[in-house]
Amino acid sequence: MLLQTEKICKQFGGVYALKDIDFQIEEGETLGLVGENGAGKSTLIKILTGVYHLDSGAIFWEGNPAEIKDPCQSRDLGINVIHQDRNLIPSFNGIENAYLGLPYERKSGFAVDWVKMKQKVEEVMAELGVSIDLNLPASMLTPPQKTMIEIVRAMMTQCRLLILDEPTAALTDREAEMLFETIDKLKKKGTSILYVTHRMDEIFRLTDRITVFKNGQLVNTVKTADVDKEKIISMMTDNWVSEKMNIVKEFGDSILEVEHISSKDGIVKDASFTARAGEILGIFGLGGSGRTEMLECVYGDRPASGGTIAIDQNIIEKPSPAHSLEKGMVLICEDRRGKALVGSLNVKQNIVLSTIDNYTRFGIVNEKKEVSSAKNQIEKLNIKTEGPSQPVLQLSGGNQQKVVFAKALMSNPKVLLCDEPTQAVDVKTRQEIHKLLRRKADEGNAVVFVSSDLKEVLEVADNVLVMANGKTKDLFINDGLTAERVLSHCYAD
Amino acid sequence: MNKNRKVSDFMKAYGTVLAGIIIVIIFSILSFDTFFTFGNFINITRQISLLVIIALGATLVMSVEEFDLSIGAMASLGGVVAAKMAVSGMPILLCFAFPVIICFAIGLLNGWIVTRFRVLSFITTLAMSTVIGGFTFWFTGGATIFENIPRSFTLVGTKSLFALPLLSIIMILLTVIFWFTMRHTSFGRKLYAIGGNEAASSVSGIKVIFHKNIAFAICASLAALTGVLMASRLGSAHPTGGDGLFLQAYAAAFIGRTVFKEGVPNIWGTFVGAAILGVLANGLTIMQVPTFMQDLLTGCIIILAVVAQKIGYGDTK
Repeated sequence: MLLQTEKICKQFGGVYALKDIDFQIEEGETLGLVGENGAGKSTLIKILTGVYHLDSGAIFWEGNPAEIKDPCQSRDLGINVIHQDRNLIPSFNGIENAYLGLPYERKSGFAVDWVKMKQKVEEVMAELGVSIDLNLPASMLTPPQKTMIEIVRAMMTQCRLLILDEPTAALTDREAEMLFETIDKLKKKGTSILYVTHRMDEIFRLTDRITVFKNGQLVNTVKTADVDKEKIISMMTDNWVSEKMNIVKEFGDSILEVEHISSKDGIVKDASFTARAGEILGIFGLGGSGRTEMLECVYGDRPASGGTIAIDQNIIEKPSPAHSLEKGMVLICEDRRGKALVGSLNVKQNIVLSTIDNYTRFGIVNEKKEVSSAKNQIEKLNIKTEGPSQPVLQLSGGNQQKVVFAKALMSNPKVLLCDEPTQAVDVKTRQEIHKLLRRKADEGNAVVFVSSDLKEVLEVADNVLVMANGKTKDLFINDGLTAERVLSHCYAD
Repeated sequence: MNKNRKVSDFMKAYGTVLAGIIIVIIFSILSFDTFFTFGNFINITRQISLLVIIALGATLVMSVEEFDLSIGAMASLGGVVAAKMAVSGMPILLCFAFPVIICFAIGLLNGWIVTRFRVLSFITTLAMSTVIGGFTFWFTGGATIFENIPRSFTLVGTKSLFALPLLSIIMILLTVIFWFTMRHTSFGRKLYAIGGNEAASSVSGIKVIFHKNIAFAICASLAALTGVLMASRLGSAHPTGGDGLFLQAYAAAFIGRTVFKEGVPNIWGTFVGAAILGVLANGLTIMQVPTFMQDLLTGCIIILAVVAQKIGYGDTK
């Protein structure tokens, strides 16, 4: 047994991110770790790599109790992690990046022995069967080459356990295949690998055993040969059918029509959908499917490279947030502090931020009108605040989110694009937001609801659209729809 | 709310003003008959007027979280252009307006480069400052313009109205106008929103690029106006005459940030900041403290002010 954990627990704000995890990885095996978003995979990785400290429980390394207090200690044990967002210094070349965090080789005295360093890196590369021009800076390398450099770096030291966290998220199929070949070589060398991914086919292609996490708990560990994809998916999700709460089937005219849009940065490849009056359209996709980016594209906050967006049959020529607002479309951003609230302004000023011009005469703000409108929204949405002049960041997370909603509703939108609108809010606020969205839909508006929480999507949406790999896929009517069925489409191809 | 919190809130809000008052009291004690006189206070308002005007523009650009390091060079340019025009006998109004218009355009150019190409404003305006400086030198041949400047050109800079210098009156008017703009108009609100969170402002439909451009343009215009007023006051214009104002303007704006507890660039704060710098310079001169000591003290006070603010916010490591 290379690594073993005993009853590991980790809480964040009173909620268990990990609970009583007894996790094991054998010497030389490749273990797959799967689970939905928020199942606790990342938390486990961060504990093993010393980023987080466990609340209780113990870690054993080769049978001996081990303490992992910081990333250095983790690396000294022989644990290396490769993230999807690669940790390379863009301006450094291959040798410098491979030696990141390692002592440089020295000639006698102070001079760095670049020749010897290059030799060492090349040795490791030869062992892995990788060939990359080491003189190029990391910024000139392709995504798989960058991943390779990271693996090389991991193998520069005595690496016993290599953790790969969604390593193929940004790779094409052919690039991924190159990575798999390298992984095969590592396996032959006897390096243990912990492979974390959403992609089922990779799990079955690479692993010996699979560990399934759900809601912070370890559900089961099975031999890969003994199970199939359906079995694993059913272990990851509760067999949970949507509650039939007010799901609507009859809709009015289509309000928002999006056809074949793609983003300039290539994250959104081809997305089309229609949202109708009275409809809550749920959009579900796994992490990295491009759901947030797609909404930003539609709203005009992310440059698009093609496709059309039309509201009430009028095509928006130059999509921009200002134009979208004018046409009656608002976006509630996922990133509340980053893109929704202005922290230096107070509650009132945030609420009227996008409609400030409605409260001015000759450019001068009529503060009485402004305050009374803000108060009105505060009352309507039941925002807990000392008053309209309280700094917005003093409010609780749930109330901050209500302020974001209040701002959005001030412009009387016909289309509400909501990206994770209930992220990090308490249960009560979550319900209030759900009711609010339903009310807005019933008033004849269209609501587009994006969440990484599939249960929530099934709870709220009338129809569910699946997104994967930057493309919109199947559309389901939310009538007896199961999480399993939606997920199986996310994991397809 | 406990008493300590109240005290610390009060210090956050008015600590800087308090420090200013203490400085005044110290000077008054040390040299009561020269410093603490009506005449000297009027004198101080004139001494700080140019600094305040140029610092108002710097505050505007700072409020959108950018910098314009070319304001000193633009003030110099404004001064020499106005002086040359006056010497050549052009209408005084035109002599005042034309440099302002030129710098308005330069400001737009600054803004365009910063917003269109997402270049740091720091480096953009630093380079622009060098360009303008080079142009000014070429335009003047490096010489101070002082011969044949008509008396009418120096009226604004030297005359008084009801014992109050015209320069002081202009300063007060502009301060009030800019305070009102930043505090009570949607334009000001949008600038603060952009400075607070550019991404969120953009998502909220605020035209970030447009507003940043306007902020740069207004800042540049005020810099030019400062240069023109300086030339009018001195009756001469030196090709680097305005350069020194640039550091002082940002010093005033940074001290100003510490006035009022929100910690954002603000007009009254900048005014208070400039006043503190002005009082210091005035008082130290009266006490015949050598110039190098003045610089030393002023620098220390600026560092103290910004450190005090960071401590007040618990924003330290």
